[in-house]
Amino acid sequence: MNKKRSMMFSLVRGLMAILIALGVAALLIFISAEATNIGDRFVQTFGALRQLLISPILRNNGSVNVKNVTDVLAAMIPILFTGLATCVMFSANQFNMGAEGGIMLGAFVTALVAIYVPIPGGLLPIVAILIGAAAVGVMMLIPSILKVKMGVSEMVCSLMMNYVVMYFIKYTLNTQLADKSRGQIMTFPFQENAAIPQLIDNGSKLSWGFVVGIVFVILTALFMYRTRWGYAIRMIGINQDFAKYSGMKVGGIIILAQVLGGVLAGMGGGIEMLGRYSTYAWSSLPGYGWTGITVAILAGNNPAFVPLAAFFMAYLNKGCNLMSTYSGVPAQLIDIIQAVIFLFFAAEQFLSGYRQKLVVKSAQEELQRQAEQAAAEGSVK
Amino acid sequence: MAVEYAVQMKGITKVYPNGVAASRGVDFEVRKGEIHALMGENGAGKSTLMKMLFGMEQPTSGEIWVNGEKVVLSSPTVAISKGVGMVHQHFMLVPSLTVAENMVLGMVPTKSGMFIDKKKAVELTREYSEKFNLYVDPDARVVDIPVGMKQKVEILKALVRGAKILILDEPTAVLTTQETTELFKELINLKNQGYTIIFISHKLNEIMQITDRMTILRGGKSMGVHNTADVDPETISRLMVGRDVVLKVEKEPAKPTDVVLRVRDLEYTNEWGKKMLDNFSMDLRKGEILGIAGVEGNGQKELVDMLFNFNVPDYGTITVNGENILGIPQRRIREKGVSLVPEDRMIYGIAGTASIEENMISDRAGARELNNGPLFNMKAIHNLSEELIRDYKVLCKSGAQQVKMLSGGNIQKVVVAREFSNNPKLIIADQPTRGIDVGATEFIRKKLVELSRSGIAVLLVSADLNEVMELSDSLIVMYGGKIAAYFEDTKDLNDEIMGEYMLGLKQQTAEEIGRVCHE
Repeated sequence: MNKKRSMMFSLVRGLMAILIALGVAALLIFISAEATNIGDRFVQTFGALRQLLISPILRNNGSVNVKNVTDVLAAMIPILFTGLATCVMFSANQFNMGAEGGIMLGAFVTALVAIYVPIPGGLLPIVAILIGAAAVGVMMLIPSILKVKMGVSEMVCSLMMNYVVMYFIKYTLNTQLADKSRGQIMTFPFQENAAIPQLIDNGSKLSWGFVVGIVFVILTALFMYRTRWGYAIRMIGINQDFAKYSGMKVGGIIILAQVLGGVLAGMGGGIEMLGRYSTYAWSSLPGYGWTGITVAILAGNNPAFVPLAAFFMAYLNKGCNLMSTYSGVPAQLIDIIQAVIFLFFAAEQFLSGYRQKLVVKSAQEELQRQAEQAAAEGSVK
Repeated sequence: MAVEYAVQMKGITKVYPNGVAASRGVDFEVRKGEIHALMGENGAGKSTLMKMLFGMEQPTSGEIWVNGEKVVLSSPTVAISKGVGMVHQHFMLVPSLTVAENMVLGMVPTKSGMFIDKKKAVELTREYSEKFNLYVDPDARVVDIPVGMKQKVEILKALVRGAKILILDEPTAVLTTQETTELFKELINLKNQGYTIIFISHKLNEIMQITDRMTILRGGKSMGVHNTADVDPETISRLMVGRDVVLKVEKEPAKPTDVVLRVRDLEYTNEWGKKMLDNFSMDLRKGEILGIAGVEGNGQKELVDMLFNFNVPDYGTITVNGENILGIPQRRIREKGVSLVPEDRMIYGIAGTASIEENMISDRAGARELNNGPLFNMKAIHNLSEELIRDYKVLCKSGAQQVKMLSGGNIQKVVVAREFSNNPKLIIADQPTRGIDVGATEFIRKKLVELSRSGIAVLLVSADLNEVMELSDSLIVMYGGKIAAYFEDTKDLNDEIMGEYMLGLKQQTAEEIGRVCHE
C-alpha cells in the first residue's frame, strides 16, 4: 500500500474513533440531562457538545477566546514531557508506567532546590529542573536494572513505585517541609528568581516551558530516529533477539531507555512546578503520567506526533471542564470519552475491513501497472 | 470416460492484508487417485494456494470445488469434513503427548462420557497404522520419536479424520534419503488405495520419481499442467524461474591456509539430559568451505548456538584466530570478525517492522563512517543500503520498505547482504538457503564460494544434502553429537554414502575423524 493511502487510512481511522467517542458522549449527556421533555434534552445536549468542542477556541459570538487557547497550550506542557517519556520507554518495548511517579518526584525535587539552594539569577530554574530530572532518571534505574538483571516485570515494578514515590513525598511534606504558618499543607515559597518567565502573562500560566517542551519534542525525535542509541532502542523494541544477535548491548539500552524516560518525565515535573506554581503542594499523583501514556499511544510512540496528541488531550480536557461548568454535565465524562477514543485507537482490527479494501485496491492497481508495462515492453519488441 | 476431479480451483486470487498478491487467477485441478506435484519458487504462491484449499485462508475471489461439489472452505474443520487433509511442513503435534493421544486430539474417545479411553485411542492408531502400512508406536511420546515417524503420525492423523485428499507440504525437507524412499513407498501405497495426494516440493528429482502430473506456479500464476513423464527437469526449472538455472556452482579448488576457527572437546548435555555434543573437535581454515551435514537434531544447532554464544557448553574451547569467543557477548564475537546467517531469519535475522535500511545496519550502527558525531550520517546509511540492495539484488521498491513485506528469498538476501559485507573473517551460514527460491539460492551459494575463495573461512551448516555436497570443500557428518565422518574431499561422495553416516549405520575411526584438526 502506498504512503498516501496508508496516511489517509490512519486519518480516517482516527477521525472515526473520535466521532464514535463523541457519539457515545452525546448519548451519555442526553441520558443525564436535567430537562424532562425530549426537546429540551436535545437542546441541552447540543449546548453541552458545543461547550465541549467549540468553546476551547471560540466565544459564543465567534471571536477567538485567547484565554482559553492559552489555557489549552499551557495544559499541554506536562503531558508533552510525559508523552515523550512514555514514547521512549514504550519504543524499547518496556511498558514502564513510571512517568506518573516520575513527574511528581521531578516536581518535588525541583521545588526543594528552588526553595533551599541559593543560586543567582536565571540559573536557578535551570539547575533546579536539571536536578529534578536527574533524580527521576536515578529512580528509573530501579525498575530497569531489576528487569535486566532479574527479569522483574518493569510494568508492575514501576506502577508500585509510583505509590512509593507519592507516599514518600507526602510523608516528608507533612512531617518535615510544610510551612506551618499556612492553612494548607504546602512548602515554603520558591525563591523569587526560580519562576520560569511567562510567554503570555494572562493568568493561563503559559510559560517558556512550552517552548522548551517543543524543543524537546524535536530533540527526542532526533534522538529516536537519527542516532545510534535511539535506533538501538527501536530495534530492541521490535525484536530483542535480533538486537542481541546483531551485537547491541541489549541490557544497557533497556536501562538507557527507561532512565531517559525518567529524565524527560522529571523535567516535565520541574517545568510544570516552576512555570505554574510558587510553592509545592501536590500531595497525590497529578495524573499527567497516565495522560502521557494515552498521548504516547495516540502518537504511535513517535515523538514527532506527541504535540498533536497532547494538544488533542489538553483540548478535550478544557472542553470537558467548560462543559461541566456551563452545562452541568459531570467533568468525569472526559474519562469516558478518553476511554472510548483510546479503545478504538488501540484496537488493531478497528476498520481492518476498510484497510483490506484499500490494500486490495492498491495491489490491483500495481498489477494493472505491471501488466501495462509488460504489454508496452512486448510491443517494443 | 470423463475424468473425475478431486479438486478444482478456478480463477483463485488472493491478496493478503499487507498488499501482497499471492495468487493471481490460478486454475488448479487434481484428478482423483493421482499424485500431483505443486511446484514453484518460494513466493510463487504454493503455500497460499494450499492454505486456501485447507480452509486456513479465504480466497479474495475464485471458486473451489471438491469432488465435484462447490464448497466454501471457511476453516480447516470444514475442509476436513470435505475430506481434505494437510500435513504441514512444521509438524502440528503436541510433543509431550503420546502418538495415540495426538491421533485422537479433538475427537477423543471417552469412557462413560468423561474419561479419555486410552485403550481405544491406541487400538484406533494400530488399526490405521496397519491398514495403511504406516508403522508408528502408539505408546511412544512424540518428543521421543524420529522425524520420519512424526510425519507418519501427521499423515495418519489426516487419514483418521477421513481425508481422501492429502496435501503434503514439502514432506521430504526434514527426511534422510532412506526415510524419503520409505515415504514414497507409503505414498504409492495410498495412491493405490484410491487416495489423492498433492505433493509440494522444491526437489526436482523427487517430483520426477513419484508424481503423475504437476502444476507449476510462478509469481502467483499457473504456468500450466504437465504429465510428469512428458517433461524433463530442465524444462521444469525453466518454467519455475523463467530461465535456465545452473544448479551446479562453479568453483576452483580451495587453497586453505591458517586455521581460523578452532573448536576443541565440546561437550553439552541439554536440559532433558540428552547429550547433544560429545567430545566435538574441529578446525576450519582460511579459504575453505567446511560443510556440516547431518539429520537435524544431531548437534548442529547446539554447535552453532555455542559459536555465537546463544548457549554455553559444559566443557570445551572455541577460538577464532587464537582468541577465545566462548561465552563472550555477541558484540565482541562480531568484533573478532565472525558473521552469522542464522537458521531462523524471522527470529534472529531481521526486525520485521523496521525498514530494509534499518535492517542493513544493525551490526554496524555505531560505525564511524555511518555517524556524524552523535547523529547518524543519513546519507552514508542511505548509500550503504542502496549499495547492498543493488549488489545483493534485493527485490524491493526502496530501502524504506518494511522488510517483512518482502518474500522469503529477499528477506534472506537482506540478512546475507549485512552478514557478508562487514569484512568477516569467518562466516557461519546456518541453513542459508532454507525455504527460499531457486534464484536467491543460487545467488547466495555463489556468494559463499566467492567469499571463501577471497580468503574467508566459511562454516556451512545445512540439512540440504545437495547444498553441502555441492558447496563444501571438505565435509563433516554429524550423528548423535559426534563427528560420524570427515571427508577431506567431497568429489567422490554420493547420497548413499552420506546417508549411511547420517543415520549412524557407519562410523569412521578416530584417526580418520582426527584429520579435521589441523595441528
